[in-house]
Amino acid sequence: MALLTATTDVFSASETSERCVVLFIAKAHSLPGAGTRGSSRDSVATVLDQLGSQGWRLSLREMIDPSAKSGPMVFDSGFAHDADYVGVFEAPGISAALEGTVQLERAGWSQCYATQWLLGPREFAAIEAKGPPLEREWGFIALWEWNDAWAAASLEQRRDYDAECDVAFQGDLALNVNIAGRHRLDFASAWHHLGIWEVDRPETVDTAMRGHEDAADFKYTTSRHFIGRRRPLAHMFSPVSGEPQ
Amino acid sequence: MTPVVWIHYARPRPHWYALSETEKAARQAAWTDIANASKLQGAENIGRYHIRGQQDYETVDIWRFTNAEAAADHWSRLTVAQYNEWYAFSNNVGIAMDALA
Repeated sequence: MALLTATTDVFSASETSERCVVLFIAKAHSLPGAGTRGSSRDSVATVLDQLGSQGWRLSLREMIDPSAKSGPMVFDSGFAHDADYVGVFEAPGISAALEGTVQLERAGWSQCYATQWLLGPREFAAIEAKGPPLEREWGFIALWEWNDAWAAASLEQRRDYDAECDVAFQGDLALNVNIAGRHRLDFASAWHHLGIWEVDRPETVDTAMRGHEDAADFKYTTSRHFIGRRRPLAHMFSPVSGEPQ
Repeated sequence: MTPVVWIHYARPRPHWYALSETEKAARQAAWTDIANASKLQGAENIGRYHIRGQQDYETVDIWRFTNAEAAADHWSRLTVAQYNEWYAFSNNVGIAMDALA
């Protein structure tokens, strides 16, 4: 698939562009009898095991470092959003991604969560932070759409804009943020692309966003951002109070 | 890989209206060529429908593709031809239910 915009000093084209992100934004059902998490836990875990054996990466950690074996992970986002969990997987291809979402839904996921699944091929390679090793327990998920002003801008204006945004992205890396490259979402969404970061704490995201505001990043984009704290995916299917174990 | 439906909502961006009819026709012709190439590769265009009365967009196009990769490739070729720069859009892809049975 072609690149949606050109590479920059920060972002380089990925050599593994056939891989496809699976972003999920999940809101727990609250109606009584809508499904018990405990009864879905094992069947969802079985599907995830199968997907893992088929070459899926089941966490942001594994997408950034394929040698990491974190197991399936999600970001607990209910404290800041109307979605309870947001997370990412990476499938070997687009069809595999689409079929995997159906397998997960049918394994009991859909009985517990109303979920928006967004799919798209990898465009840019992951970029590691600049700084000493540290624990990054938080995820930042950014959906972007280039707006009408970007669409009407000249190529020179867009190049200048990309260069300004690159300064902000260099600032993100200097904040010791890992960036999982970039994925296109536009073939199956109104969103154009996805950025996902590993960060140490929410304050770091806030500082980074101020840098993007200074670079006028948002003059040409509309965006939606999520933050969440990393948890094992099994947490999504832990029985809630009153449910059978 | 399984057959998919691909649903494409679209409306012109504001600067589209400033183009001359000749300029619009030239761009439309390039995008029609891309659609025809997709059809030659097995895609089926169900049709284009007007939905402005009850939607954020002006039209919806409904396609069948042999698989999700083919739908993504169709869209990628449209974006290379700057279609997305003249039209705002929202796209959906879905697996045929009978393929899942």
